[in-house]
Amino acid sequence: MSEIISFTFNGRQVQCEPGQSIAAAVINTGTLSLRTTRFGEDPRSIFCGIGICFDCVVVVDGVANQRACLVTAQSGMKVESRS
Amino acid sequence: MIIVIGAGPAGLAAAEAAARNGSDVALIDSAPRIGGQYWRHRTEVSGYRSNRAEALFAKIKTSRSVTYISEASVWSIERDGSLIRVNYLQGGTESSLTAEKLIIATGAYDRSLPFPGWDQPGSMTPGAVQALYKGHGVLAGKRVVVAGTGPFLLPVATTLAEAGVEIVGLYEAHSPLRWTLSPVALIFNLSKFAELIYYWRLLAKHGIRPQFGRVVTSFAHGQATISHVDSDFRMKAKRAQTIEVDAVAVGWGFLPDLTLGGIAGCKQRVVSDGTTVFDVDRNQLSSQPNVWIAGEATGIGGADLSLLEGEIAGLAASGQEISSRLRIKRFAKELFAQALSRSYPIRDGWKSWSNEDTVICRCEEVTLANIKESVVELGAEDSRTAKLFTRAGMGLCQGRVCSRNVAEIVAGLTGCSVSDEERIASSNRPIAAPISLGLLGDGKK
Repeated sequence: MSEIISFTFNGRQVQCEPGQSIAAAVINTGTLSLRTTRFGEDPRSIFCGIGICFDCVVVVDGVANQRACLVTAQSGMKVESRS
Repeated sequence: MIIVIGAGPAGLAAAEAAARNGSDVALIDSAPRIGGQYWRHRTEVSGYRSNRAEALFAKIKTSRSVTYISEASVWSIERDGSLIRVNYLQGGTESSLTAEKLIIATGAYDRSLPFPGWDQPGSMTPGAVQALYKGHGVLAGKRVVVAGTGPFLLPVATTLAEAGVEIVGLYEAHSPLRWTLSPVALIFNLSKFAELIYYWRLLAKHGIRPQFGRVVTSFAHGQATISHVDSDFRMKAKRAQTIEVDAVAVGWGFLPDLTLGGIAGCKQRVVSDGTTVFDVDRNQLSSQPNVWIAGEATGIGGADLSLLEGEIAGLAASGQEISSRLRIKRFAKELFAQALSRSYPIRDGWKSWSNEDTVICRCEEVTLANIKESVVELGAEDSRTAKLFTRAGMGLCQGRVCSRNVAEIVAGLTGCSVSDEERIASSNRPIAAPISLGLLGDGKK
């Protein structure tokens, strides 16, 4: 691939190919958990993978509740598990 | 103009058919590439008879009368006199399109059943594993179990195996002998044997042997428990097997995506297996004037049926004639769809897989114990009341994943069955996609 996308996930650098979702990019680095739940603080990852279940929601550049399986990774993005 | 929502098999077929007589078509889809879930791809479509996809894509892309709008998620549909307005978000900005006619082809998503650990990272739907690989080139793990019920498990297991994943188990809950219940459907669909042979060869090539009457009954810390079940999905006393895996892909057929048709006010009905679908006539016309619905949203039947329904809807919406040959082809595929639901029914025994602390509503982290408490101690008699007590189904997904399961669990506890009204009510959602109040305010100007 010509171009490499680089963004941060909880402060850690993640690199991926153009067009890959945030979830795909993070999972490709070997990290499955994308966030922890509000009450039980249980780890969660993608589940439905197509934007139905909202289990993979992360904070993208300060905007909460973004579905990591749908949002395409862009260079310079700051992705966090919670705000 | 005709607006088509959804660029999967049904939507593509509808857009192509409607454009045949030069009707202006706007095809709106939420994904970056056309094809829907079934023909999801990065560079080119792969899998069984993928040439059909390439042919349709080419027609859509070269057609002068089709405008294709990608990465646009429709959040509401409203009437404007005799016109229909579709409001959508594209890259954070709100836009709308207005047309005389609308075809809804929003497809379906995996149905899930709860079991201990189904909320752990690494437990996904087969659709998620497929989307992750076909859409993004990423594998869910090196060692994967594919399980649940239905023919969709075959393309998922074989796609992953072709990509280099070790399929450590392919578990189908039902016996394949259930197909003997549907001899007529098989005779009318002999081409399906070619598809079966296609998958059988791929399974053999990778040394994958499907095992029947088994389900994943727990998943935690890289270990999946595989249990034998009877025809009612109840675990047998036989010893369960534990295997080391990176991921489990478990799916129980599909649920139609009813959100947008519901917003448009289209009438729904409950089919014999309890699935809520849209009620359409022989031309795919819904209860709403000038709104047609095609594909999985009118009943789960697979891509073949979706293509035919899409074509019929597109022809009807653009005022073209629908040949009796097309209707007969659809009839044959409808027989097959009925055979699918007869061969792969979801049995009540799944409720016994959960423990008291198993999460039933993933969004709001509501456990089986919480739901039992709402019924036994707080007196909830239906799923709506149980939902108000526990918040099950009131999270971000608006009950898309759990509402049917919660209704079944409550019905089991109260000794009632889930009413059709309850099933239809739980599938209706006021807004399709999350939208900020600021945008909502602007959109009303």
